[in-house]
Amino acid sequence: MPTVTDASVPIAHLQAVGKEYPRGQTSVRALSDVTLDIEPGELLAVMGASGSGKSTLLAILGCLDQPTAGEYRLGGQRVADLDDRALSRLRNRTIGFVFQSFHLIPELTVLENVETPLLYGDVPHAEWRERAARSLERVGLAHRSDHRPSELSGGEAQRAAIARALVTEPRLLLADEPTGNLDSATGEEIAELITSLPGEGRTVVLVTHNEGLAARARRLVRLKDGRIQSDGPVPGRSGHLPFRSGER
Amino acid sequence: MSPRVLLHLGLRSLLLHKLRSTLSILGVVFGVAAVTAMSSVGEGARRESIAQIGALGIDTVTLRARPAAAGSAPGPGLSLRDAESVGRVVPDLRAIAPVRLATLGASAGSQQADAIVVGTTPAYRDASRIALASGRFVSDLDVSGGKRIAVLGAGIARALFPFGGAGGPVRVGDDWFHVVGVLEGRAVARGRPGPIRSLDVNRAIFVPLPALDRGGDARPEGVDEIVFRVADASRVTEAAAVARRVAERSSGGASFEVVVPREILRQQERTQRIFNVVTGAIATISLLVGGIGIMNIMLAGVAERTREVGVRRALGATRRDVASQFLVESSLLTVAGGVAGAALGVVGSLLIQRFAAWPTALSPLMLLIALVMALGVGVGFGFYPAWRAAHLEPMEALRHE
Repeated sequence: MPTVTDASVPIAHLQAVGKEYPRGQTSVRALSDVTLDIEPGELLAVMGASGSGKSTLLAILGCLDQPTAGEYRLGGQRVADLDDRALSRLRNRTIGFVFQSFHLIPELTVLENVETPLLYGDVPHAEWRERAARSLERVGLAHRSDHRPSELSGGEAQRAAIARALVTEPRLLLADEPTGNLDSATGEEIAELITSLPGEGRTVVLVTHNEGLAARARRLVRLKDGRIQSDGPVPGRSGHLPFRSGER
Repeated sequence: MSPRVLLHLGLRSLLLHKLRSTLSILGVVFGVAAVTAMSSVGEGARRESIAQIGALGIDTVTLRARPAAAGSAPGPGLSLRDAESVGRVVPDLRAIAPVRLATLGASAGSQQADAIVVGTTPAYRDASRIALASGRFVSDLDVSGGKRIAVLGAGIARALFPFGGAGGPVRVGDDWFHVVGVLEGRAVARGRPGPIRSLDVNRAIFVPLPALDRGGDARPEGVDEIVFRVADASRVTEAAAVARRVAERSSGGASFEVVVPREILRQQERTQRIFNVVTGAIATISLLVGGIGIMNIMLAGVAERTREVGVRRALGATRRDVASQFLVESSLLTVAGGVAGAALGVVGSLLIQRFAAWPTALSPLMLLIALVMALGVGVGFGFYPAWRAAHLEPMEALRHE
């Protein structure tokens, strides 16, 4: 079983990764020759215009999709070698997802939504409730436990989604445009929350259009047409760009 | 995922869409109900014929004159001589008895009842499997002496001697008879007359053959029926044919009928088999229709919950987990439909019994089969939608609007 423990190896390692989607006779190249090492504890922002391959990269990092070229290792393990069971296990234990549109299950209460990843893991049933409650407390949403997602504000929904992502203590948190559906004030709150998460062996990869949000990362990867255009420390990190939501 | 969690998820999802769930299982409900009710009718008929045939025995034959066609003169009928000839000719004969029948009023003290009076010989007891509760049956001396003794069927004994202790004189028709024995009660089919015209021994009074006064009977040697029993049940059909030929020859071409319970049993079994095939076909068709309904609803559910599937996959659900979730839902649906249908079928069966006066019987096995079939439909027709859900691409499912 894949475990991610060694802090000296990159948590994620992409070597010349490419992704093509078949489109009728031809195919569309979404990613080409992406080589990237993501170290434990990093806060990495991925930026790029629409269609630059950000989402594809995130899907590959999250083991929701497989590259068609190159090699992806997660915690030292070749992802291409894994079957559905092992991939699901990785998604469950090693990876946490935060989506732009929250993706909470509308029929379940907030607490049940946060519990959902535990259904697919090894945590004994008796601990589910407590773990989920702790995770909700951590994002300051304990008072909303029994509400339905539809009763939450956007900021609250995203907090619930973050609580859900954190409930299995993943080592790699993937956030896809987490402030994209929020107004600037709540966006600021969520940005604050997410940027506080890396460390203690937890890595955060943040995919965004938003310069302000990306500026809070320590490292910035820019994608263009499926290729890495630049990869380095965030410029003017000390300057601390003001956060502006809605900038796309 | 543990079965408990799966069950919980499934129940929740179904309860969330109560109306939809209810509508989707209607096909299964009515299918199972129809099958349950129909099979109860079949089972009732089967049990009834078994009871009748069991009462007669599969190794007995009754020979009697065919009722005369309207307008023509009655045939010569059977006589004691015929009984003798049949007794000589039929191979492997175990017992043979001539029978005279009359329906007469009987009374003892202030109690009265209508009885079928059977004049016969001691061999009747063996030929017709009569069991005595007390006393004795008609003996040879009774017959040769034309004694006026009577053996009462259980029902008649109860009617004439409601406080027990059947004995002493009873009046049968215009004569007095002395009660010497009482028969054991015998289970007889209730309700409509069955395929076999059989004597209800509970309502019978047995007397020595010569003691049954038939008034101005032109034929003092005449009898109404000849009952015999063969030693080997497998040869009963053959024996019946021989007996009929003998009787027909001696009477110069009059026609007789033979009642062979074994043949009737066979015929019943054939009819039953056809009935079973028809019931099975209807069951299959209705469950097929019900199953297609379930599949439709499940496919709609998968389409509607594509995003949920994507989310669950992202959170660590394997394909198998996703498939199980949908399979449990469809199985729960059809089992609920099966239970409701079986209940409805039981009610239907009772209504048929009450209003159509057909005997119905429910076998627990049939109910179990209905439930198992409903579950099978759930798994069978839920399989494709579950497979579809399990093979959604997680990324595409997440982007699904």
